[in-house]
Amino acid sequence: MAFAGSTVHIGCALSIIEIVAVLYRSHLNLGDRTPRAAGRDYLVLSKGHGVMAQYACLHELGWLTDADLDRYFSNGTRMKGLSDAHVPGLEVTSGSLGHGLPVATGLALGAQRLKSGQRVFCVVGDGEMNEGAMWEALLFAGQFRLDNLVVIVDENRFQAMGTTQEVISLGSLHAKFAAFDYDVLSVDGHDEKALDAALDDLMARRNGRPKAIVAATVKGRGVSFMENNNVWHYTRLTKETFDAALAEVEGR
Amino acid sequence: MRATFSRILTEAAQHDERVLLLTGDHGYALFDEFRKNCPGQYINCGVAEQNMVGVAAGLAKAGFRPVVYGLAAFVPMRVLEQIKIDVCYEELPVVFVGDGAGVVYAQLGTSHQCTEDVAALRAVPNIGIVSPADRFELQYCWKHLLQNKGAGYLRFGKADGGDVHAAIPDAPVGDLLQARPGKEDWAIIATGSMVVAACRLSAALGGAPVWSAPVLHPINRAQVESIGRAFSGIFVVEEHSAAGGLGGLVAEIVAETGGCRVIRFGTRQFSEFCGDYKYLLSQHGLDDGTLLAGMTSAMAHEAP
Repeated sequence: MAFAGSTVHIGCALSIIEIVAVLYRSHLNLGDRTPRAAGRDYLVLSKGHGVMAQYACLHELGWLTDADLDRYFSNGTRMKGLSDAHVPGLEVTSGSLGHGLPVATGLALGAQRLKSGQRVFCVVGDGEMNEGAMWEALLFAGQFRLDNLVVIVDENRFQAMGTTQEVISLGSLHAKFAAFDYDVLSVDGHDEKALDAALDDLMARRNGRPKAIVAATVKGRGVSFMENNNVWHYTRLTKETFDAALAEVEGR
Repeated sequence: MRATFSRILTEAAQHDERVLLLTGDHGYALFDEFRKNCPGQYINCGVAEQNMVGVAAGLAKAGFRPVVYGLAAFVPMRVLEQIKIDVCYEELPVVFVGDGAGVVYAQLGTSHQCTEDVAALRAVPNIGIVSPADRFELQYCWKHLLQNKGAGYLRFGKADGGDVHAAIPDAPVGDLLQARPGKEDWAIIATGSMVVAACRLSAALGGAPVWSAPVLHPINRAQVESIGRAFSGIFVVEEHSAAGGLGGLVAEIVAETGGCRVIRFGTRQFSEFCGDYKYLLSQHGLDDGTLLAGMTSAMAHEAP
């Protein structure tokens, strides 16, 4: 998909692949397993730059075809470079950062009012936490006791132009969530067992407090020459780098 | 007009439990009736307008009908991107209410004044724009906003100028409503607070006909075109920027269809000084005297 479309943001997708895979595999109630199933749990990708990871899951579910993936980024397809709500299975249009979490908060409030039992899992970037609207949403979710909302931070410690430390230092996100009175756990975002356990633990606590997971991740995870190398925020694959990356990923 | 708004909003919520009122910590006194009758449908989102619009989008996706209230300076101006991406792109049924549009908050200054909202939203697809002149037009617009499948914006400006009509207009959505008949060869088209002023000026101009435009999008283009063909010129008056508002809209339609001259009267600068509402209108050249002088001058001169 990334090679076929000659696309950017590969590193952003590789850092969240285990997070979205675990959610689809073991946690999301997908109802009748159609993209717009009534009563489904919502997976809101607020960091729309990681959309290739979600596309890969939608492909596994059979909601996207091989041809869809091959036509990613190309003329006349809905498969745009950032999360887009017109694609069945994607819940929000994001990539302009700071949009997904407020919408997720509204979905969680709607589910609470309807007593539908639906849960909302919102994947956000650590760089995205620069946006003021994120903090507005976090405060709102606490005020309205949205314990059906789980905010999962992809803490890869990079944003577009550098490390989060260099650009806008975030300090401890764990401590910040705790200060906002969230139930928060910090885990290795590439350890599927740890993610499963954290999600099970948090979802068992229906105590009026919103939930957060700070997932320590590696941008470009799984491909040695991409890992923690921020040029892969924007670099496109060549035949040589594609083959080398594929060999590494398939060798794992 | 404000009492009417309070009543019809409350009625809408009583009639449909999916209607929720979201406010960015504004609307003191205006929502007393709503909060008394529908306390469970009132959501104060705090001083956090961007999140409020995202929440409204999420609620609409979950099946609710949110009404998002704020000062026009904040809703839609501060949240234009949320309206575009979160609401309009998905054609969600969210009604936005921008209160105090124009220079209503006169003495408070530039931060609370709003003369660019229509121009901004006209460029965004999938959102209706209404700008009622009196309580009857408000009810006419409100019916369309609630029936509309997608998003809508209610521009709520100066509201105490008195009635223009005698009853709720019975017209298709988008029509211009004749507020004063006339026989002059120049016509006036106005919207919102300036319709009352246009009616006063009509007589001074020897009986120029006046149309009110309560619905700015979608407007009845054929009707604007026919007015553009029937008269020597059109004056457009609005408490909004002369760029991109009703004046721009009328000028575009008339220019594209080969009609008459269109002279726009609206704001062109920020308000420089403190002053009351009447003072600020005069600063922007929207007082009766300045408008009349401008109109008389235009009528006396041939088109260049």
